Parts: sequence; C-alpha cells; structure tokens
Amino acid sequence: MNELRAKAKELLTNGTVKVVIGYIESTTPDRTKPFIARTAEDAEKLVFNKYCVNNLALYLTRKEFRRTGVVGIVAKGCDVKAIVQLIQENQVNKDDVYIIGMNCNGVVSELGQDFSAETIATKCLNCSVRTPLLYHTLLGTLEDLPKREDKNFVLMQKLDAMSAGERWDFWEDEFERCVKCYACRQACPLCYCERCIADKTVPRWIESSAHTRGNFSWNIIRAFHLAGRCIGCNECERACPAEIPLSLLNRKMGMVAKKEFDFVAGMGLDTPTLVGTYNLNDNEDFIK
Amino acid sequence: MEEKIISLDNLSFFVNDLIKDNHIVIGQDSKEINWKRITGAKDIVVNSKNIPSNISYKEFVFAKTEPIIYYKNKKDEFDIVEPALPRQKLVFLGAKPCDARSIEIMSKVFNWDYKDKFFNERAEGSIVIGVACNYQDKFCFCTSVGLSPVTEKGSDLFLVPLDEKNFALQIVTERGKEFIQPYQKYLSDGNQAKSKEILSKIKNPEKRFETSKVSEWLTNNFEHKIFDNVGDICVGCGQCAFACPVCHCFDIVDEECDYSSGRRMKNWDACQFGLFTLHGSGHNPRETQGKRYRQRIAHKFKYYQDKFDEVLCTGCGRCSRGCPVGIDIAEVVAEINSLA
Amino acid sequence: MEEEKQFEPKIAAFVCNWCTYTGADLAGTSRLKYSADIKMIRVPCTGRIDPVFLIKAFEKGADGVLISGCHPNDCHYNTGNFHARRRWILFRQLLDFVGIDSSRVHFSWVSASEGKKFVDVVTEVVNKVKEKGPFTRYAKINKEFVIHE
Repeated sequence: MNELRAKAKELLTNGTVKVVIGYIESTTPDRTKPFIARTAEDAEKLVFNKYCVNNLALYLTRKEFRRTGVVGIVAKGCDVKAIVQLIQENQVNKDDVYIIGMNCNGVVSELGQDFSAETIATKCLNCSVRTPLLYHTLLGTLEDLPKREDKNFVLMQKLDAMSAGERWDFWEDEFERCVKCYACRQACPLCYCERCIADKTVPRWIESSAHTRGNFSWNIIRAFHLAGRCIGCNECERACPAEIPLSLLNRKMGMVAKKEFDFVAGMGLDTPTLVGTYNLNDNEDFIK
Repeated sequence: MEEKIISLDNLSFFVNDLIKDNHIVIGQDSKEINWKRITGAKDIVVNSKNIPSNISYKEFVFAKTEPIIYYKNKKDEFDIVEPALPRQKLVFLGAKPCDARSIEIMSKVFNWDYKDKFFNERAEGSIVIGVACNYQDKFCFCTSVGLSPVTEKGSDLFLVPLDEKNFALQIVTERGKEFIQPYQKYLSDGNQAKSKEILSKIKNPEKRFETSKVSEWLTNNFEHKIFDNVGDICVGCGQCAFACPVCHCFDIVDEECDYSSGRRMKNWDACQFGLFTLHGSGHNPRETQGKRYRQRIAHKFKYYQDKFDEVLCTGCGRCSRGCPVGIDIAEVVAEINSLA
Repeated sequence: MEEEKQFEPKIAAFVCNWCTYTGADLAGTSRLKYSADIKMIRVPCTGRIDPVFLIKAFEKGADGVLISGCHPNDCHYNTGNFHARRRWILFRQLLDFVGIDSSRVHFSWVSASEGKKFVDVVTEVVNKVKEKGPFTRYAKINKEFVIHE
C-alpha cells in the first residue's frame, strides 16, 4: 500500500498525471470507495486491498477527464481489460491514461463482506489476468486464490438444459424484481453512451415501465449492446438492488463470442472489436 | 398502551386467518431483497435481527409502475377510462421502525394539494405491524432522524420478541385495536415489564447529526464544494432513491397498445438521473452529478422539513449499504453537521 | 384442430430496400402469390435492423419475424449485411437464452431477381410459424392495455 501511495504521490508531484483515480477506505474498513486524488496529500489516503471491487475504468469516460490531460488510474487485471476495450473503441486515448497496474489476489463479491472462499467474487474464480495485460507501473505480489465452486456456471448449465419456455419463466421471475433504476447501466464501464437507447423517447424503443415488456426489452438490449464488449467485471450485477443475475446474460454472450468467433473482449490492443468488424467467412448456416 | 402476548405458532394462525379474510399480507422476502405478498404461514419472516431488505415495501402503496388512465382514440375524440381501484386491505407484517414510518411520511406529499387517490386507496386501509429492531450496523442512523430501533411510531401494532417462541404485541393505534379485535383468540395477556426490559436492552445507533442544524446550514451553503466531492464519484445510478422507503418521485409516460389505444403510466423516477431535470430546450438546471446529489440531500433534510415539518429520511441506511460506489449518506450529512 | 386451422400468424418482415424488397416486387409483377400473413417493413439495409426492432415486433403481437436482405458481397453499401450477419449470430443465441424461441426468427438472402425464392421463403416461414403456434409470452401484459369497459 505504501508503494501505491508513494507512486501516486510521485506521479502527481512530478506532473506525469493530473489526477489519480483510486480507492480509499469507506465507512468501515471492509469497504472501499472510489476516490479522485488531485494532490500529493490526497494520495496519502489511497488504499488497495481485497475490498477494492469497483471497476474504476468507469470514470475514464467522464467528460471532465477527457480534457484533463493524463489521468492516472489504479487498476486490477479486469479493470485493465475494460480500459483496453475503451481504447479499442476510441473512447479513451491510449496516451492519456497512466495505468498503475495491481497484481490482484481476488476481491469480495459485495461490499461489506469478509474475504473468504465463500465470498470471493465469481469473476475471480477463473481469472486469467491477475497480472494486468497493460500497465505503466506494476505493484503488489501474487498470492494463491481461495477456490470455490462456480455457482454461476452451474446455474448457466441448468438454464441451457431447459426449454425456451422454462427459461422465459425463469427470467420473468428474476426480472419481475427489476425497478428500472438502470444501476446496471450506470455502473458499467462500457455503457458510456451520452444518451442511452432506453432514455430515447421519440420513439420510445424501450418502455420505462417495470412490467414484463419493459423489463425484457431493457435487459435483452442491455445484454446485446454489451455482446462481445463485456469484459466480465460483473459491476452490473453488484450494483443491482434487486439482485438479478445479470452476469449470466453477459457471460452467455461472452461464451457465444468465444465459440463463434474465438473472441474475448479486452484482451489486447491488436485485436479489433467484435461487432465493429466482420469476416467474410462468418457462419451463415441459419440463413436461407 | 395495551399489551398482549402472541406465540409464534399463533402468529402463523393469525396470518393464515388474515389471508382467508382477504387481507393482503406483505412480508420481507427471506432472501432479504424486497418485500412480497405472503401466501401462507410458511413465508413469514418476522425477525428483529435481520438486515433491512435491499428495497423497501413502498412499492405496495406507491407502485413502481402503474397505469393512471387508459385511452382510446375514436375518430375525433378520445375515450378515457380510469383504472378501477379496488380498495386494498394491506397488512405490512414485520416492519422495522425505519420502515413503519414510511407511509405516514409519504402521505404528506401525496395529500398536500392534489390528493393522490392511487396512493390513498392503498395507504388508508393499510395496517402496519411493526417489530422492534435488533439489527444494527454502521449504516443505521435512525436515532439521528428522530426514530429509534424500539419506537412504535408509524406502527398500528408493534411486536417485541420476548423469547424464541413469543412476541409481545403492543396495540398502538385505535385502528390497530379495531383490526385485532376479531383475532383475540390468538392473544393472551401480557406483562409490560418484560417487554420494557427487553426494549431497554436494545442499543441505539449513535446519533450522528442534528436535523435542524443541517437544514439551516443547507439554507446558507447552496454552492458548497462538499456536494461536488460526492458528485465526483457518484455514478448516478438511482439505486438510493429506488431502495429508499420514502423517496416518492415519479415520471409519467404514455405507452401505446396499438394505433388507437394505450395507457398512461406512472413510473418511479430518481433525482440522481441526468434526465430528471433536462428541459425540452436542452437546458439542464442540474447539470452535474454534484448538483443532483445536493438536491437529494436538500430535499431530504431541508425542503421537506420546511414544507411538512418532517425529515424525508428514516435512517434505514439502505442507500448507503447498496451504493455501488460506497457513498454513505449519514457520513455526508454528519460532515455537514460538523460544518454547521 | 378447428382452432389451429384458423390461426393466422402475424409475421413482421424487415427487408432491405435494394434486394429483398425489390425481389418481393418482382414476385408481385410476376403474378406469384405469397401469404398475406407477412407484414413487410422496408429498411435501407439489413445493417439498419436494430435488434430492438425484433423485440418491438414481438411486443406488438408478432408471432414470428423474417429478416431478409442482399446476398453477401451484393450489399448496396458494401458491408452492411456482413455486419448484420455477425450481430444476428449473437442475437439469435441471446433470444434463445432469455426464452424467446429463436426458431420464430428467420433469416434469408433474397436478391432483386429472386422473386420465386422470396415466395418460397415466405411460404416456408409462414408454415414454420404456424407450426409453432401463436407467441403468447406477452399476451398477459398486452391484455392489461385494453380498455376495461
């Protein structure tokens, strides 16, 4: 942690970066919250631990940072995937971001939990980027991750085995709790549209009411707009007050992208985006 | 105040009877996500130790989405039909003091100049069966807004867990008394001393601010940077407003059915959304997230107090517990308190 | 059996202006007959078809959807149909995953000269959707939209 503070301080003092986006301790020590350090004093407050769940890449697309100059960001491997994807989509200029990469030993799934094999976030279970793919400075050391069963994957297999009708019933049940707060969208680093399709009123494509129609169209379109883009940080699911298993939808799309196009989002600056490109030999056996 | 005793078994018989008598019994979901209609005694979760659900039960009096009129276009005119509103007999079972007050608080705004019949039809017939609260974490601050874990304010009937198997049932209001009358057979005589002793043992959350002080500070410090500091990290997700037991903003939209008919819907809305105040002209008086957060704080701790002499907050801490970026409302207001 | 015979599916067809729409026109001028259950919506290019159109069609009571455009390499805008194809591959499986049977959604390439193919495709789609029966998932909520008198 001292390394991190010293590095942030150094970057802020010598003018390499204008701000450092990082984490500070929140109400209780087992919670952290995002923090924007602007001075060397601010940098003294920064922390990094197993409770740093937030994906800070979310803040990179904010208007106020677009013209700030170089922005420093404390990032775990999964956050870096989001940054890579943002660079690929031309939302962030590669030269305008200074990544303080953190070797990550897993994070909790929800704020306010103790870190254990029970509470380690699902995304950490099969993580392949514990050391970030892209960084300017790398801090921290790797330790062994606690292991547990991937319940999410089990549920996914259960769903895949169901008939379409049963799956609809499952989702209708889950979506029924949706209150249309759009926290899933706001918490997503890749939902950066100035004006979301859900907010467009002329015509209103996605009904804002939280009934079967509105819930399905919103959740389907949200998942689709993230198809081949979602980097699997699961912030949507964590932000959801109704605890809808949104990551299942994203994960499914990720699996389809992998199966059909051998594509994984955010894994490198040399692979073009999935839906921004095409291949002449894409599968078309379903087209008459 | 009259006090009776009801055993856990009798409580389930009581609930079964209520359901038989066409009451709609609402209880906290066992997953602690939201509140649900109870269909039988098996669903009952009356526990003074559980954490407040992620989402409060306000959706049963102030629906998250509901039609307010149906319309049909007939040549040159519109046929307008108002939805039939059956008067509902709602019973909220196991509301903690921070939930129990919510209907009373919201009722002030819904009956201020226009009487909102959608709210009233549900709220007026509702019975709140409160329960003393034995849960406490760093986010609870009910004592700071004039409530406490043991207050019966807002409840018609109030349960105090005596031991594993028995509750003391305090009859708080006349309405509560009338309501419990047909079910006397499940009650036995109580002894106030014991419940008093139990209530006195429950620890209060620390009082963190003085609402009058906060309100006065807000009057004079409209442009203070404290709001922008929060706005820096707030993502504007509106989870806080949707989980809140007393936030009551809504939006009205039309949804078409086919080319000639449709319905007008009333849906929840939140002041943390950028679109909330966006004008048709493109101008937005609350352009930045900081300004939106200021509105949230000022509405809760100043405007509502000025207008209705009531703090628009029950100190349940849902907004802070659920905030994806860890903003703690009590922390912010306590900071304001220390500035004042 | 009686009722099944009476079921007339509503099928929304999103077709590209340059190929399939013209192909359908050719079918018409060639006096070829095709089912009236198809409601055609002309779009500039298959690349213009946002998946939200499909959702909307189902919401509004469609029992099936047909999407049709130019053959690969024939796109008026060069690459519109290639991009669209990629999206469909993803979207079909998403629909399946949330429980909207993707066999209600049909895709085809029909060029401006394939009037006959268009008729064949329409006939096949109508038969397949008839087999599937009406799409009733939104029926309950849509019923609530009707004026109660």
